[in-house]
Amino acid sequence: MRCLRYILLVLISLLPFAGMCKESGQGGVDVRSIIFEHVKDSYEWHITAIGDNHISIPLPIIVYSSRTGWECFSSSVFHHQEEYKGFRISTSGDNEGKIVELDSFGNEVRPVLDLSLTKTVVSVFIYSIMLVLIVLYVARWYRRHRIEDGAPKGFVGVMEMLITMVLDDIIKPNVGKNYLKFAPYLLTVFFFIFLSNIMGLLPIFPGGANVTGNIAVTLALALCTFIAVNVFGNKEYYKELFWPDVPSWLKVPVPLMPFIELFGVIVKPFALTIRLFANILAGHTVVLAIVCIIFITMEVDTRIGGAMTFVSVLFTIFMNCLELLVAFIQAFVFTMLSSVFIGLSQPEHKAKKH
Amino acid sequence: MSFLVPDTGLLFWMLLAFGIVFFILYKYGFPVIISKIEERKRYIDDSLKKAKEANKRFAAAEHKSNLIIENAREEEARILREAATMRKQIIKEAQDKAESEREKMLLETKRMIQQEREAAMRDIRSQVAELSLSVAETILRDELSDEKRQKEYAERLLDSIDVEKASEK
Amino acid sequence: MISTILLDAAMWASIAKMGAAFAASIVVIGAAWGISRIGSTALESMARQPEAASDLRSGMILSAALIEGVAMFAVVVCFLVLFV
Repeated sequence: MRCLRYILLVLISLLPFAGMCKESGQGGVDVRSIIFEHVKDSYEWHITAIGDNHISIPLPIIVYSSRTGWECFSSSVFHHQEEYKGFRISTSGDNEGKIVELDSFGNEVRPVLDLSLTKTVVSVFIYSIMLVLIVLYVARWYRRHRIEDGAPKGFVGVMEMLITMVLDDIIKPNVGKNYLKFAPYLLTVFFFIFLSNIMGLLPIFPGGANVTGNIAVTLALALCTFIAVNVFGNKEYYKELFWPDVPSWLKVPVPLMPFIELFGVIVKPFALTIRLFANILAGHTVVLAIVCIIFITMEVDTRIGGAMTFVSVLFTIFMNCLELLVAFIQAFVFTMLSSVFIGLSQPEHKAKKH
Repeated sequence: MSFLVPDTGLLFWMLLAFGIVFFILYKYGFPVIISKIEERKRYIDDSLKKAKEANKRFAAAEHKSNLIIENAREEEARILREAATMRKQIIKEAQDKAESEREKMLLETKRMIQQEREAAMRDIRSQVAELSLSVAETILRDELSDEKRQKEYAERLLDSIDVEKASEK
Repeated sequence: MISTILLDAAMWASIAKMGAAFAASIVVIGAAWGISRIGSTALESMARQPEAASDLRSGMILSAALIEGVAMFAVVVCFLVLFV
């Protein structure tokens, strides 16, 4: 209760500044561009703007073009000029915000390969390093202590709680008896998604990137699960896939059942991709939209805007709490579905089952 | 819609980064943690089982010791009882013996008294006989002189004999 | 002539937007119904059999995830309608 009162106090003390928003903003608030700027990938990491000074970290652009071959330059070159070595950042059309070059007809086309270290790529690197450091730290604790020393405390204890939760609640019941083979992969997936989700909720530099709300990231994760499912699937799984136990007219002249099964195999990673991506994207969008309500109402009237600041910040706090829950649940669900798919690819003999 | 189309570059970097992370954690991270956690779980289970067993054993030992104590107590009681009976018996025996001894001694004493008395009687008889002889002698001597005097004399003699006899006794 | 065509196009575009919003609301109704069914039945079964609560919970999360996945597909379709 006291905590809530403090929050209200802070909000009330912020009210005088609410009027300033109107002065600084020129023209209408473009909610769509604000949201999309955050949600989409970009070639520089925009941190904040103080007045008209935009503070951002320029990131390297690496492209392979059929015209010039490999090119590598900093994205800060576009601050002063629109075009550099024939490359430019598109401002409209399908490739909006992406790096493009002009083909012989004067149309904007994407380079053959665009391996730029974008904001999302850099945050993936940062979170990967964080994850590795965290897990190796925990592993070092376990290496240094004997079993008789008892359970860990503090941070390592929290990590152990999460690991045992994932192991006992997700992996063991779903994967089956050779769960130890897949446990490192599933745990890596869980912690990667969880860490990315949590960091995505932080509004400042190391966090704040929309990593798991980017379809390429979730597609990569789903591809890993796809590989784990199909490379380590046993004979029974492939028999079920191509020669299932159904009346033979369903599979001989027209391979109907195999087709359906194959469709299922392809749909599974797709479902994983879309679910995680859409959930996190929707979460970020909603939080930003609620924050934008302040600026929209401020344009209409400062007093209404002031009141709305109140409501909107409370609502944003609520949404952030909800997003914390979603961050955990989505990591949990992705891991759970992955382990269910892996478990389904390792069926035991039917005679044993029935 | 641009954000529904995965970027090739991002996909590439993501796969690379995730692959490296997975490799490192597969090699040095999670297997250590998992094995340690499982080992500890086993250790705790073992310890619990051992503790239960120890408890059971302890209970059994306690039961046994209780039994032994009970037995010892019974034994003690029995021994005490036996000792008591034995004591009683010994006392009784001693009493009996003493009784019989006393009786025997009494009998002996009586016999000795009897003997003594008989001896005394015999002595008295012989003395009486002697005295009566001497009395008779004196009497006879007195009677020879004067009948009256003889009588008195005899009387006197007899008195003196009586006195003597009394003093002798 | 040209202006009427343009007006028409703008009108149709706004109708498409409205359609996307309607679609989103219908998606939310369906997903909410499904998840509420899961929640109520799962809680009921947990109350009946508290010892099976952990199994029920993971099953509940799994089926909620499946429903939510379908809803997310629909949301993505709405996005496509809205922006493409």
